Amino acid sequence: MRAPRENLFHLLEPLLARVEHPARYIDHEWGACQEQDGPFHLCMVYADVYEVGQPNLGVSILYNQVNAQEGMSCERCYLPWKDLSALMRERGVPLLSLEGSAPLASFDAIGFTLAHELIATNVLETLDLAGIALTSAERDEDDPIILAGGPSAWNCEPLAAVFDAVLLGDGEESIVEVCACIRAARSEGVPRVELLRRLSRVPGTYVPSLYETRVDETSTRWGYAVPRSGEDVPEVVLKRCVNDFAATPAVAQRIVPYAGIVQDRLSLEVLRGCARGCRFCQAGMTYRPVRERGAEQVVAGGVEGLETSGHNEISLSSLSTTDHSQCAEILAGLNERLAGRGVRVSIPSQRLDAFGVEMAAAVAGARRGGLTFAPEAGSQRLRDVINKNVTEDDLERAARNAFDAGWRRCKLYFMMGLPTETDEDVVGIARMAERVLEIGREVVGRGVKSGVSVSISVAVLVPKAFTAFQWAGQLDPDEVRRRQQLLLHEVRDRAIRVSYHDADVSLVEGALSKMGRAGFDLVREAWRLGCRFDAWTSEFRFDLWQEAAAACGFDLAEVACEEFPLSARLPWEHTSPGVDKGYLQREWLRAREGVTTPDCTRESCAGCGVCPTLGVHNVIQGVRA
Amino acid sequence: MSRPQCQPVPERPQDLPIKAELARLRVAYVKDRRLAYLGHLDLISTVERCVRRSGLPFSIGNGFARRMRIQFSSALPVGASSACELFDLRLTRRVDVDEALAALRAATPPALAPYRAAYVDGRLPAPEAWLDRTQWSVELGPACPTDELSDAIESVWRHGEIRYLRGEKEKVVDLSRTLLGFRVGEGGGGLTVALDTRSGAGGALRPQVLLDAAFSEMGRPAPDAPRVRRLRQGHEESGRIVEPFGPFDTEARAPLS
Repeated sequence: MRAPRENLFHLLEPLLARVEHPARYIDHEWGACQEQDGPFHLCMVYADVYEVGQPNLGVSILYNQVNAQEGMSCERCYLPWKDLSALMRERGVPLLSLEGSAPLASFDAIGFTLAHELIATNVLETLDLAGIALTSAERDEDDPIILAGGPSAWNCEPLAAVFDAVLLGDGEESIVEVCACIRAARSEGVPRVELLRRLSRVPGTYVPSLYETRVDETSTRWGYAVPRSGEDVPEVVLKRCVNDFAATPAVAQRIVPYAGIVQDRLSLEVLRGCARGCRFCQAGMTYRPVRERGAEQVVAGGVEGLETSGHNEISLSSLSTTDHSQCAEILAGLNERLAGRGVRVSIPSQRLDAFGVEMAAAVAGARRGGLTFAPEAGSQRLRDVINKNVTEDDLERAARNAFDAGWRRCKLYFMMGLPTETDEDVVGIARMAERVLEIGREVVGRGVKSGVSVSISVAVLVPKAFTAFQWAGQLDPDEVRRRQQLLLHEVRDRAIRVSYHDADVSLVEGALSKMGRAGFDLVREAWRLGCRFDAWTSEFRFDLWQEAAAACGFDLAEVACEEFPLSARLPWEHTSPGVDKGYLQREWLRAREGVTTPDCTRESCAGCGVCPTLGVHNVIQGVRA
Repeated sequence: MSRPQCQPVPERPQDLPIKAELARLRVAYVKDRRLAYLGHLDLISTVERCVRRSGLPFSIGNGFARRMRIQFSSALPVGASSACELFDLRLTRRVDVDEALAALRAATPPALAPYRAAYVDGRLPAPEAWLDRTQWSVELGPACPTDELSDAIESVWRHGEIRYLRGEKEKVVDLSRTLLGFRVGEGGGGLTVALDTRSGAGGALRPQVLLDAAFSEMGRPAPDAPRVRRLRQGHEESGRIVEPFGPFDTEARAPLS
């Protein structure tokens, strides 16, 4: 039953003196929208603590969009840390929104951002703390409509039972249409099931309860979803895509947090999409096509955003910022306009070539901390398998340029468990790190005081939906650990530091990435046993996940490591980012042969199918270097 | 009023203004309502952002991190409000005080509203070290009889020190040097405690620490969420209290900051 809308901060306030970081819960930040008159009320939820959720650009974009609409209000909510949730349960205080301190259960709709798979138990924790039924089927007529979207919505089947509707692709336009649809249906008093049917007619909106799962000889053991008998819903729900990206506001982050957050800076999305075609990368497939903002808009937006927010750092964010055709112009423009203000410009990752180093130098000013590159694999053969179109020479040149330009520390990102990987490829990671270190010593000097060091960070490949590797099985965790030890053994120089991802965390992520609707039993059981904040190293409890899997009759390793036949119908195929399955199949076969595919923003079309399917095209402002 | 613009700082180090020559603007502000829960580091970054938004010509340090030249009065306990917080901001040029205050107010959340500003001698010590006297008020709600609390505080005071855990660290505060006086009264439907404290070599006494010790002395649980407020800060000099904005009768001492 819908809770009454009322400000309950007086119930929360007495608890704040007893918890860690009470600034997480105080709201009223500069730029927050305090006028929340509605009458339609949406609450955007990032199911992690404030400092992790607040920097999320997607939440900011949707928050602004909805609040700009007449008659619609949007508030925010983050999951309280365990100390506060325990006190709230003890005192019977329900989960509240930030702006209005209103019970979540009083909202018309609640929108979850699914940033990664390991947020699943936190979604259930949020709903439970709010006093809202965990599954769509259990909700009353007038309960809030539970929405979801974001990068991990591309296999949301393990949480399909939870969500009333899932928004696929760019949410700027569809969130407003979805809210308008809910508002209209509510004002007409239509039954909840009819409201959900109406939502399914909003393009890009997937309503899980109107689909059922079939398992047959054409599918994997998780089956595939088809419209329920009698339901007039699309067999495949295509994502939404904002064609005129440059027409959207350059600066979405208008709220200036009080509490220190994980990315405490102004973030400006300079481009959306990436066409490099790395075969492990889900975002590279699901955010296509590539759409750049013009340099003038970026520079003007950045300067205005800094003046109105007071931030002392601006990050030019995207999947690959140095690929922007006007990157040099943007950095020169910002450096000129921001001179003398003690403002730092940062870009999240560097391209592995001389241009990348040049751009890094343009943002670093006199600072020369560490420089990060992502070769991803230790051998040319394996880099061709994953379509990482960089060579050993590229890396060596980039490293030499970086040390020449004054950097002393180099960080290299790699992945382990890539398809066809051998021990030779793992050893290749160590050799590559040694080569980079050697270049640094050649350029800077060999003494300890030269300060040259290399650190390598090795993630575990988790095959994701809508990538060329979606059919691949994840590497068995024992084998991951063996290869990690092999790498450690091979790295002999103490100036090289190695860090790697926990194989067990990757295993749970891998299982949740592969499972269909039956995965909900696992998530619910894990949550029931006490799993929360699984993305936090300090909080992850593999023993509880194993216990939950055993209770549901699953073996996590078996689930994550299972390879799917190329012809099988996959659990997520009723949703689509516009990428052709045939293209992904070709990419999978080319990967196994070590054949690379070019970037369509630099060479000819690779035939991924996004442009004709969605009626869109790449928007490149200049000529890409 | 036109919005003051940031001044470009000359790039060559030899051209950078010398810190002692920069105008030093002292600003008093409140810390109220929900923002009482803001920790000191978060408060610092929040005020720095307010200064940047205000458009005042703030000065940037010459170090690696190029930080704003700004100094704050001592940290308040998280959850305590204040009527008398201070920061000293170095400006590259003098701006009319009223204009500066108006620009800061326009760029600051009401719960941290600046209410007074004045230029002070650049050689004054940093406010955190200089402001060593504080008056506090604590609202406790209906916790216990007035006399009982008064006797308990007296008893704790007589012990001379309080040992307590902050996180996992044991702290000792010397009450003979840090607690100068107290008064327990009634008001607002409960008990109120007024405290006069001194910070310095004996440490700094947090009102909550004293009250926890007093309630422990009584064998009663400490009240759930007392409202602590810093009412006044000053500097003790030759037996008198110098207010943050003066008058500064004597020549300022050699710069400590």
